[in-house]
Amino acid sequence: MNFVTHTQLREWLGGLMAERSVIAPQRLQPDLVVYRAVDSTDEIAFDFGRAALSPKEFFLPATEAILTIERVRQLIAGDDGEAQPDWQIRLTDHELTRDQVLFAIRPCDAHALTALDALLLKEPVDAYYARRRQRTSLIGLACAQMGPTCFCTSLGFTPDDRQGMDVMLYTVEGGYALEVLTEKGQAVTAGLQSTPYSERLPEREWPPAQISVPPRSVWLNAFNDPYWGELADRCLSCKICAYVCPTCRCFDVRDYTVAQAPGYQKIERLRCWDACMADGYRRIAGGHNPRPEKAQRLRNRFYCKFEYYPADFGPLACVGCGRCIDNCPVNVDITEVLDAVRARS
Amino acid sequence: MMDNPYVPYIGRLVDIQPLGTGIKLFRFQFDDAQLADQFDYRPGQFAFVSAFGVGEAPFGITSVRGVDDTIDFAVAKVGTVTRALHEMRPGDRVGLRGPMGNWFPLDEIKGKNVIFLGGGIGGAPLRPVITSILHDRDSYGDMTILWAARNPNLLVFTSEYDTWRQAPRTQLHLTVDEGDAGWSGNVGLITQLLQQVKPSPDNACVIICGPPIMIHFAILELQKMGFASEQIITTLEAKMKCGIGKCGRCNVGEKYVCLHGPVFTHSEIKDFLESFV
Repeated sequence: MNFVTHTQLREWLGGLMAERSVIAPQRLQPDLVVYRAVDSTDEIAFDFGRAALSPKEFFLPATEAILTIERVRQLIAGDDGEAQPDWQIRLTDHELTRDQVLFAIRPCDAHALTALDALLLKEPVDAYYARRRQRTSLIGLACAQMGPTCFCTSLGFTPDDRQGMDVMLYTVEGGYALEVLTEKGQAVTAGLQSTPYSERLPEREWPPAQISVPPRSVWLNAFNDPYWGELADRCLSCKICAYVCPTCRCFDVRDYTVAQAPGYQKIERLRCWDACMADGYRRIAGGHNPRPEKAQRLRNRFYCKFEYYPADFGPLACVGCGRCIDNCPVNVDITEVLDAVRARS
Repeated sequence: MMDNPYVPYIGRLVDIQPLGTGIKLFRFQFDDAQLADQFDYRPGQFAFVSAFGVGEAPFGITSVRGVDDTIDFAVAKVGTVTRALHEMRPGDRVGLRGPMGNWFPLDEIKGKNVIFLGGGIGGAPLRPVITSILHDRDSYGDMTILWAARNPNLLVFTSEYDTWRQAPRTQLHLTVDEGDAGWSGNVGLITQLLQQVKPSPDNACVIICGPPIMIHFAILELQKMGFASEQIITTLEAKMKCGIGKCGRCNVGEKYVCLHGPVFTHSEIKDFLESFV
């Protein structure tokens, strides 16, 4: 373990910006911190709790062009010898051009990437997500305390967990204790000035678990409970819970024509975040909708997080960050849902 | 680019044939002939077809590898991508991603009598199974095809009916919900036709595809007739955006239609937490 002063840390981050994109927490308003690509360490918020949005968008952007498609008209000789138009298709894949450093990612958001990896890096690998993961180093920053809606300790995590990080930072007297955890972490810290840290990290007592995830048998029993209808009564299907969720990854894919001229059409195939709360989410062409009720869709959200995702891919699709609780306009609280499901056993 | 499952192969619709009112058969050929050899698919699998500029959608493949030299899709005009495909002309270029999903257990059902229940465009994914059995006729028992549609103009693959009828130990029964002036055959639901034909469950299996509600009632009827869950095989349809288990759209409970299906036995379906209907 090494020790770095705040000045050494800033100098190192500034130096990284020459060759890499540095993504770091930025304070946009007094109470609003989000991750943004920064050009100077002056833009970085070093003292913050949990960012309003997870850094999910740097791995799975809210909207990204996954393919550029060009249709180009050429003239070819037809069967009768006459020239005929023939539309050629050119496809351009979208590669990431620079390495990224994600500074001050919190342990819950790193757990969320581990959860997303289980799905998106499984064969066949999601190429766009994989490239971003491969080219991004994660510099973790342990939380000083749990926020009012945080519940990571209820899911078996801790606010100073280093799992999934390449480098981990702990705030200590006079600077940071720093731990390099992977080869990627070694490469990214090559230019960092530091001194050995010989002290032991202070032992932290985190608040105990407040809730727990009910076992599978309870979920299976609760599936047809009227509770889901009661809960859905107040849900607005606004989807904010999915958008702020660091593990929600459902997406839509659509084609948009971005340029057109005689004999030429340029199309971008866009992938955008979507959410299972949307009315038409599962509706098929022709009109049939296997999940027409709001209650069914809201239920799917919680079953996906705690039952389907673990069954299909391993990890829970919830890391206890509490952002959905902060943002729900009608106070649907995921921890209350877990309690309510358990109460139905 | 080929390590990216979102990048489609490019090819042409070399032939487009009407199959019924608002239904066409599209025959696809790769621009790169080598890809045709590599594109290894089996009856029941599906692929995404791109109408560039409009989008892409999944369709069951109706052709049979080694029998047909094109990759075929039967497409009903019901949405934006299908409308764009219906406006295309032979020679137009489209994209293809696949093959995706699992397939019908053609090896496991060898020696059995096979009963098909096809409803409307749901006949599309059954056609390659029927064709495969016809090309290996001796390996299977009797084949009974129950083919239904809302009206006579929506009965698909009519040009193959004579071949099916003339094949050894093969029967074809048709029904429509509503007849027309030229129709003298059965009128009624496929479940009524099933009661009339009364296939025996002995050494048999049933393969169903159609609208979800048809699948639901057909299964109830088959159970009454003594068919066990493991004898009933179906293929499900779902909204999809990726076809490879990432986009999240096609889950029925913890099962993904694209990853775990689209072919499921009733033994699996009856344990689904969420209804597929």
